[in-house]
Amino acid sequence: MRVAAVLSALVAGLASFPAAAAATPSPVSAWYVYGSSPSELASNAYAHGCAFARSQPGGGLRLLLLDFGAARKLNPDTWGTIDFSDTTVSNLDILRALEAAADGYHDCHVRGSADIVYGNSNYHLSASGMSGTDVWYAGYHQSERAEDLADYQVASGYDSETSDAASDMEPSWDGPSITKQLVNGDSAQGWALYYDFGSADGCPQSGSSDGPCNNGWHVSDVGYVSYHGLAFPLPEIYYTANADQWTVVRKVWNANHGGYTFAGVTATTGAGLAPGAAWSTLDSLNSGLVDSEMVCFGC
Amino acid sequence: MLRLLTWVGALCLLAAGAGLAVAARGADTEPAAPHPIPARMLGPGVPVPVPPSILRERNGWLVSDGRTLVAVYAGAAGNDPSVGRLVIVRQDLVAGRQTVRTLDAGPIGALAIAAAPLGGSVETSAQRGSIQVRAARGRVFRLDLGAGTLTRRSRSVDTVPRPWPPRSSDSASDSFGR
Repeated sequence: MRVAAVLSALVAGLASFPAAAAATPSPVSAWYVYGSSPSELASNAYAHGCAFARSQPGGGLRLLLLDFGAARKLNPDTWGTIDFSDTTVSNLDILRALEAAADGYHDCHVRGSADIVYGNSNYHLSASGMSGTDVWYAGYHQSERAEDLADYQVASGYDSETSDAASDMEPSWDGPSITKQLVNGDSAQGWALYYDFGSADGCPQSGSSDGPCNNGWHVSDVGYVSYHGLAFPLPEIYYTANADQWTVVRKVWNANHGGYTFAGVTATTGAGLAPGAAWSTLDSLNSGLVDSEMVCFGC
Repeated sequence: MLRLLTWVGALCLLAAGAGLAVAARGADTEPAAPHPIPARMLGPGVPVPVPPSILRERNGWLVSDGRTLVAVYAGAAGNDPSVGRLVIVRQDLVAGRQTVRTLDAGPIGALAIAAAPLGGSVETSAQRGSIQVRAARGRVFRLDLGAGTLTRRSRSVDTVPRPWPPRSSDSASDSFGR
């Protein structure tokens, strides 16, 4: 259904949509979400949405990424996250927070449009007691909540907004098999693009072979979680080495599947590469294959 | 191909929507009252927002008065475990800003937060206070959150008394909350 909708929109809107620019995009803020209660979570998310809208550069579609922490199964029937303040948060509470972010973006809207993204991570999934099936459902319900958010946006008349999902998938944080279930669950539900704003920790920085990465991962595993199904890479490029690693990921994926492109980059302050350099470094190694998006933690 | 069409289609749809959107709307819904987070240590089970490529985390500390928030993560540099490192995340929910700042302590091994203000009575003051950080070899440092400096606690002034300045790449990004 969503595919049909966007395809018809493509036909209708293609003529009026300007060609994608190859210039380094201006960064937009991404947020680590802290909260000690559901109401605080929603309050903070509203503030993030409003702040994002007020400072959004240009008139295009930008990603408003809210990172709610590590995916968790909270009880036999409830999924959600444990956030960065050690608070367990159900998906229902996360949905309310996402809706608050949508409200905030709408109320403070100046220009452009936003894709509000429910982000989580693969941080210590196994150690928390989650099975592969649990993690599959975590991805499935994450996409479902993104779809719920889209329904809310439509019902509210927020015509400058849409929604998706994302995960900070880091090889060092858990193994490849269980992490892949996040992508599989999301893709099975079928609504949300699944931005991988994680890393290729320990992967080779040159060549095009399926070499080892940290924690039992291989380059092809990073390719899987970033491009299988509805996954779409928005990689952390914090150091030059990261751009090298992700270039190897693209080459290895293309050797077996083809068509790998980047949705943009995830940048940060306080690391080796300044945000603008993060995008241009990846683009210089993958010319024409990096979309004009740069989300930034700390910008 | 389908993925590409989906993405481009969504771009077109939203770009068209953006063109029709009202240029500016007033903020007619105010955020709820502030919800403080009492100062607390963050143990090994709590997710870390900072990736392992930047920090191999040992522990963390967090406080918020509901308007501004400070989180400190201690450990070692992701690319060199001999370098002690702190990462400080600050959020100003009123102004809508977030900064991420890295402080390196040099080749002294991983850092861990040893002592910090805790509880509900320090939710604002602790954001400008200090916390004690211990290195693997027992050296103790003082992180001054107000000044943004990390100094060694030592009587021998000629050893390592100097503050470790912020990295040049992020020195301009830590201007609020002081």
